[in-house]
Amino acid sequence: MEKLLKELQHADLQRQTRRHFLQSCGFGLGALGLGSLLSSCGTSSAGKSVSEEGFMAKIPQFAPKAKRVIYIHMAGAPSQLELFDYKPELLKYHGKDCPAEFLEGKKFAFIQGVPKMLGPQGNFKQYGQSGAWMSDYVPYLQTVADEITFLKAMHTDQFNHAPAQLLMHTGSARLGRPSLGAWATYGLGSENQNLPGFIVLASGGQQPDAGKSVYGSGFLPSVYQGVQCRTGGDPVLYVSDPSGMNRDMRKQTIEAINEINRQTYEDVQDPEILTRISQYEMAFRMQMSVPEVMDVSKEPQFVLDMYGVKPGEGTFAMNCLLARKLVENDVRFVQLFDWGWDGHGTSKDHNVEGGLRQKCLESDRPVAALIQDLKMRGLLEETLVIWGAEFGRTPMQENRNGLVMPFMGRDHHLDAFTMWMAGGGVKQGYSHGETDELGYYGVKDRVHVHDLQATILKLMGFDHEKFTYPFQGRNFRLTDTEGKVVKQVLA
Amino acid sequence: MLYPLLQASYWPLFIGRFHPVLVHLPIGFLFVALLLEIGRRTGKINVSESAISFVLFWSAVGATFACVAGYLLSLSGGYDNELLMRHQWQGIGVAAFAWVAWVVKSDLLGEKITIAPLFYLPAFGIATVLTMTAGHDGGSLTHGEGFLTQYTPEPFRSMTGMAAIEEQTTEIKPIANVNQALVYGDIVRPILEARCTQCHNASKQKGDLRLDQVAFMLKGGKDGPAFVAGKSAESELIKRCLLPENDDDRMPPKGKPQLTDNQITLLSWWIDNGAPTDKKVSELKVSEEIKPALAALGNGSVQREPNRKTVFSEKVEPANEEAIAALRKIGLVVNPVAQDQNFIEVSAINVGNFSDANLTLLTPLSDQIVWLKLGKTKVTDAGMEQISTLKNLNRLHIEYTAVSDEGLKMLKGLPYLEYLNLIGAKVTDKGLNDIAAMKSLRSLYVWKTEASDSGIIGVRKANPGLTIVAGPDSTVLSRFKRKPDSTAVAL
Repeated sequence: MEKLLKELQHADLQRQTRRHFLQSCGFGLGALGLGSLLSSCGTSSAGKSVSEEGFMAKIPQFAPKAKRVIYIHMAGAPSQLELFDYKPELLKYHGKDCPAEFLEGKKFAFIQGVPKMLGPQGNFKQYGQSGAWMSDYVPYLQTVADEITFLKAMHTDQFNHAPAQLLMHTGSARLGRPSLGAWATYGLGSENQNLPGFIVLASGGQQPDAGKSVYGSGFLPSVYQGVQCRTGGDPVLYVSDPSGMNRDMRKQTIEAINEINRQTYEDVQDPEILTRISQYEMAFRMQMSVPEVMDVSKEPQFVLDMYGVKPGEGTFAMNCLLARKLVENDVRFVQLFDWGWDGHGTSKDHNVEGGLRQKCLESDRPVAALIQDLKMRGLLEETLVIWGAEFGRTPMQENRNGLVMPFMGRDHHLDAFTMWMAGGGVKQGYSHGETDELGYYGVKDRVHVHDLQATILKLMGFDHEKFTYPFQGRNFRLTDTEGKVVKQVLA
Repeated sequence: MLYPLLQASYWPLFIGRFHPVLVHLPIGFLFVALLLEIGRRTGKINVSESAISFVLFWSAVGATFACVAGYLLSLSGGYDNELLMRHQWQGIGVAAFAWVAWVVKSDLLGEKITIAPLFYLPAFGIATVLTMTAGHDGGSLTHGEGFLTQYTPEPFRSMTGMAAIEEQTTEIKPIANVNQALVYGDIVRPILEARCTQCHNASKQKGDLRLDQVAFMLKGGKDGPAFVAGKSAESELIKRCLLPENDDDRMPPKGKPQLTDNQITLLSWWIDNGAPTDKKVSELKVSEEIKPALAALGNGSVQREPNRKTVFSEKVEPANEEAIAALRKIGLVVNPVAQDQNFIEVSAINVGNFSDANLTLLTPLSDQIVWLKLGKTKVTDAGMEQISTLKNLNRLHIEYTAVSDEGLKMLKGLPYLEYLNLIGAKVTDKGLNDIAAMKSLRSLYVWKTEASDSGIIGVRKANPGLTIVAGPDSTVLSRFKRKPDSTAVAL
């Protein structure tokens, strides 16, 4: 008997050729490797959490002061030296050569050699009880000076539009990270089931240079990405029923598709399928809700006058009004982009004199109206309004290719620029940070982009160091390894 | 050798920290033995010599263990070396003489060597005396020299030639005239004495650092100077206070009383102003940020809003999961407000037909609901009685509902209600008068109600802490009607 068994064993071992070994090992190890690869992509673990928790809100570390956000991004970057950062000293240097110390070891997007200094073009005065400095470029914003906290010494790491916009919105200058709005909706959830939690409205004729990644969801489930709505015409294309299809039939179709998708999800557990299901459902509900919320024809005339809009326009002013209507309907994060602020001095539209004045003329009034409108509806104290761009502009006049520009313009500047916030949990009538007398460097209370992001998250109730998402084997956060809450601006 | 081995793990420090515990055993045992010996010799009590010997044995064991633990503790460093050595040898002396006292009485020696018992009393006596001196030096190491006699009262004070009691406050006393106070002597030093010098003084120098005099701060410790005059952000003293509480380098260490934000602000301000030792508050630049911290010194504590207790200082039981599920079932959005708290927010944004009948669902959660959003629902006056039982309610939206004065009256007993949105509700001046006296109320929105201008002015007078927003007031609107006062619009 024993002999028989031994023989069996022997025969078996003989049968195990090198080919067998390679075959089984190859498959086994490969499967192991694939398994770890998949989990390191966050697929299996995230898929579990998504299916278990649905798209529920996470628990904030603090009670949120800002339950909603309207983020107004002036893509291209307006000049802080014309609008808010008053530098009378710079006027004295107007037309003089830039001091060498400002140029040593510096790189600019376009400035070459030794540029001339460019004095402020606006006429500045102090406004409100808080004595906020503003120029005649923004005559309407002056009326809400006491609602605003200015960050006068912002600084960033990137001097080109796309990476700087990415850094501002996703915390990283490279692609692939979730945007602030995605983090916000991931964290606080979406309240209105008929509207996306994160809506994007763009104006100015072009999309921001960094493209859709500035409102993308990165490695978060894509249900958290910003949904861009059109401002004029149909707000969302193809959301209305095709001819010959009624709403009931549409509903049945979507239900059937979702059922198939759900079965697929049970097989492969890819969270993106859940996103697809919820987007179908959302699209169906949006057929009713979006036209309603985007319809401004029922707004009283005085409100339209405040913003300076006419129904049917697809302007920045209209987007401001829509932003108010969206937060009124509990949309968590509304992102506005307005393109055309890149005042290099290259053309009639792109400079810091007439061109910038024209952009301000189109945007100053609706922004001020938005703050007033939110305030009278009791929304401002729960809504954080953020205004800013990806960087600022140089105190020097641009001299692209060593030439004199046809218009007065300034180059991209990352060492100092101004942003402001109002509403949800920030101080009213306060100015944080100072720049040197020429507005080149922040000299007091500088705020880095990551610090701003940490502060915004804090206002929304999150500790930026603890608010993380596991991806590729480590926990990621919006501020990555940086960022410090600017406590001084918290009300 | 042994030393690096001891430093390699946490064990030495763990055991070392038991020194203050262990050290009391030999002290107690020795004195018990002493008392028994005195009692026996005077004939007051009947106790055998072997009983005393037994106690003495355990004194010796205790003292030995205390010595070992003490040595391990001393490895963590930061003690005055001379004092430490004295304490160490006295401690070893206690153990040694306790052993001698025991051994000469014991069967081992006492019976074999006839003169041995002669050493009993001297050894016993020396051990007892050394216990006292070692104990005192040990106290000095922990609490600082002079701790024992610091508050010696008169007339003993002058008899022993001690100086008058120096006010060494561990808690900071209010300052009568802040402007005339010495920045270092009256503000900075008391903060350091209350929170820092316990471990950083002449006799105990953790990290080789002393914070009891400015000169020593500049000299610094292991990690360099405590501060850099003029640069608080680069000063260890400030940086360490701002580290996360779990950080090993955080100061004061976890578990010890921490500096308040105001105290850190004050220290930073002092450093930023060059850390003068002779300047008064009025001689330094008093910025806006420092004002509240200075003002708080006047009344001893920070009281930004006297007598206002926020709801978030309350503790409530965890919310009933079934009750939450019942709310979600009818479509309400229920979210936790913040970690470590059991408060929840409830919103009826997706339930337009929410009515008074549904309000009973809130009853099981009457402690937990702090934010409630019932705008544009079908709730009426009848439902307000139910709402009035939500005793921790902090923000209430009942805009565009049929609620009138009758219902509003019910809400006036809510102790924490800060935000009340009544836009478009059926309330009049009478209703506003009823709630005018609510102390907690901060923001009241009454646009599109029947409240009159005079009624609103009346409430404003009655409750100056309350902000009433009655919609777009005419001055605001006129600003938006007016052409901007910009004259230089170049197109």
